[in-house]
Amino acid sequence: MSDAAFREEVVRLAGDEIRTCIQCGTCSSSCSTAHLMDNSIRKLIRLVLEGRRREALASESIWLCTSCLLCTVRCPRGIRPKAVVSALRQICEREGISSRDASFERIFMDQIRSKGRISEVLLSAAYALRNPDAAVPIMEMGIELLSRGKVSLDPGTVKGMDEIERIFRELGND
Amino acid sequence: MTEIAYYPGCVSKATGREYDISTRSVARALGIELIELDDWSCCGATHVPNETLAIGLAARNLTQTELPVMTTCSICYSNLRTAVRRLEDNGLRARVNSVLERKYKGARVMHVVEMLSESLRNRELPIKLSGLRVTPYYGCLLTRPGNGIDSPEHPKVLEDMVRMLGAEPVESPLKMLCCGGPIFMPREDAALESVYHILQSAKRAGADAIMVVCPLCHLMLDAKQGAIERRYGVDLGMPVLYITQLAGIALGLGPEELALEMNSISPLPLLERVYQRMTGD
Ligand code: SF4
Ligand code: SF4
Repeated sequence: MSDAAFREEVVRLAGDEIRTCIQCGTCSSSCSTAHLMDNSIRKLIRLVLEGRRREALASESIWLCTSCLLCTVRCPRGIRPKAVVSALRQICEREGISSRDASFERIFMDQIRSKGRISEVLLSAAYALRNPDAAVPIMEMGIELLSRGKVSLDPGTVKGMDEIERIFRELGND
Repeated sequence: MTEIAYYPGCVSKATGREYDISTRSVARALGIELIELDDWSCCGATHVPNETLAIGLAARNLTQTELPVMTTCSICYSNLRTAVRRLEDNGLRARVNSVLERKYKGARVMHVVEMLSESLRNRELPIKLSGLRVTPYYGCLLTRPGNGIDSPEHPKVLEDMVRMLGAEPVESPLKMLCCGGPIFMPREDAALESVYHILQSAKRAGADAIMVVCPLCHLMLDAKQGAIERRYGVDLGMPVLYITQLAGIALGLGPEELALEMNSISPLPLLERVYQRMTGD
């Protein structure tokens, strides 16, 4: 994918208004995880607009976004910076750019597609299996929740799984 | 009797059980019939980056009923509301409808906060939570991305609710800082740091308890509080109650009906204070 094609794809996914970004930094100064990011959300948008595909997709910031949407509430241009993050996550997934964060998202979506609902136990177990260093805090959490009777393996079954499969197949290829 | 469709969301049977239990109890006490949404499925939370797919998942849930749809989770609420707004676009609506079993024709979405503020207004409560200093924690998605329950910049709906219950709202500066819940599994450190600051700021503000409106916020502030105390070497002991638990107490419901024993930081000592004051000690 050329750099211009990359820019156009993100614009198509996240909205044409991105082109009007004035680099004011309102988004980054509102961001709850800005202090942990390598590129601020403002910078990430510049990377996209300049077609700097490799840098944008390699940025850890994509995965530090908590989806809190404060950037989106505040942007004076009506840009949705979180939508840019989502577009970049989607491209990473398609291009097989993997990381521990990407694997979490993958497991989450696979579970919806196969069961219709999320079981936190299965989600945590699948994630810990692929990321063994996460196992200890997950176990700790599990013990705390188990002692309060708040662990359930079965989130109930969904009858309309055909419909869910159709939603993934037909709407998931943007 | 008012009928409302209830979308419990995936965590209602697990980490958010006390929210589910207390929501059902409070609705019963208020004479509201909650009808669990037929065959509901996951809304995708914050983990479906493809927006069209996410809207499809939300829309499927909204087509399961003609009634207004109430949810207790701020993430589900934000997703469902976003879907309603985006589906005003006829092109997108046609595309989504082409894969749905029942066609989407518009929907009303509400958060349990709205259900409570509508039905508690002008209602005489048997128990006033007077003397209790409660700081509301908004988190992110109750008010975002906007055009919902209250202003995303200067909300007051939860302070009003605390007052309605007879308690005293305490302003905590970090009441809208994200709890980091959506990234807590891959990014534990980052999430715990945010929660540590949120809890400390509530404590410094002099709150007796924090009131939350989202199961993920609750998980982070309550169930993870022990881990935070150990990691930062602090003693917090800050009870974190769901809005439905606090409302239930004021409605005179018992600890079992509100699943108070399921909270990690026990709210029972606080309750004793409320009861003691009532009996005039
Ligand atoms: S707030 Fe909007 S205009 Fe300003 S830098 Fe961020 S995206 Fe660009
Ligand atoms: S949605 Fe993401 S990028 Fe925007 S302010 Fe929140 S954490 Fe930062």
